[in-house]
Amino acid sequence: MVAAALPGVRRVEHVMGMPIVIDLRDEGASDGMLDRAFDEFRAVDARFSTYKDDSEITRINRGELALADAHADVRAILARCDSLRSETRGFFDVGAASPEALDPSGLVKGWSVDRVAALLSAQGLRDFAVSAGGDVVTRGRARPDDCWRVGIQHPTISEAVAKVVAGTDLAIATSGTYARGHHIVDPHTGRPPVGVLSVTITGPSLATADAYATAAFAMGTNGPAWTARLKGYEAMTILADERVLLTPGFPGADA
Amino acid sequence: MRRPLTIILTMLALTVTSGNALAAAMAPKAALKKIIVAKKTFTGSLGQADRWGNVQVTIVVTKTTTVTGTKKVAKRHIDSIKVPVFPDHTGRSQYISENALPLLIQEALKAQSTHIYIISGATYTSDAFAQSLQAAITREKAW
Repeated sequence: MVAAALPGVRRVEHVMGMPIVIDLRDEGASDGMLDRAFDEFRAVDARFSTYKDDSEITRINRGELALADAHADVRAILARCDSLRSETRGFFDVGAASPEALDPSGLVKGWSVDRVAALLSAQGLRDFAVSAGGDVVTRGRARPDDCWRVGIQHPTISEAVAKVVAGTDLAIATSGTYARGHHIVDPHTGRPPVGVLSVTITGPSLATADAYATAAFAMGTNGPAWTARLKGYEAMTILADERVLLTPGFPGADA
Repeated sequence: MRRPLTIILTMLALTVTSGNALAAAMAPKAALKKIIVAKKTFTGSLGQADRWGNVQVTIVVTKTTTVTGTKKVAKRHIDSIKVPVFPDHTGRSQYISENALPLLIQEALKAQSTHIYIISGATYTSDAFAQSLQAAITREKAW
């Protein structure tokens, strides 16, 4: 018996300091489409990276570029960071680590995945997944006979999947200890939260889901109550005692 | 370096006749049903875990092929997901036995009727985990 080849094309590249997976499942998907999608991630990185000397964010931080003269995307991202800070009662605060230097990286990752997904859809692609460092957007189906199935990594046992989420159009972000190489801290205390291992948020926008996941994780054991009131977004919180708290609409393993 | 594919259990073929012995003797040959159960281990690529070294994911897959006459139906199921190379915070490699895994994981494996296509996670090592698991799953698809 000959196993059917996986439809489409897929590739992993390291951009923005993390592996990015683009998996296109449409029959007409090409390497050129992958090239353009990765070019878009690199363009976002060139504009927003705090590690690049000539990025707009670095130039704003050095006082060489006025905010009013920055690219519209830069202004939109920084404005969204502000609105998310108030939405999350200050728990998503990109200025908390260093008040003198802007670092919107916490929002840029999810935003860039949303953007690339929109570009792929605009090219007529229907079935694909994009993941940046474990934050995932899916569209359509993984196979003609199967929807997408996303495994959520167990927060402490690296070999284990804690839950499986199935669906067609999903955006899933997970925050936990050591996200992006450092502890997420409660901006109000400067300390890592206690009592919670990870928070996963699903909803229409990955940028927003990611910011909510960061905020809810920083809230510690107060996070689940806050996530219960979110509109259009669902949450799974894994507590330190391995209790798992789900909002009523959190997607399951059956689409 | 281990070989990417290791057959951990050689193919086990069972021939099952339908009904009791008499019925089986009377039944035409076309009614013979053959069930072939095979287990195979697939190892993903070595994922870079940035600060802490490398992560390599192995999945164990059971393929059940039911042959009725000329009709073949294959069902594949991921039995377990393991990271044989996982650096802990002190730099030592560690294994975590499957017996110690909480019930949650068992539920996740049970709920997974076919495949996990992609992983969402928070940590540096999860990136490598996702990368390596992705590679292991892609290899399993071609089996």
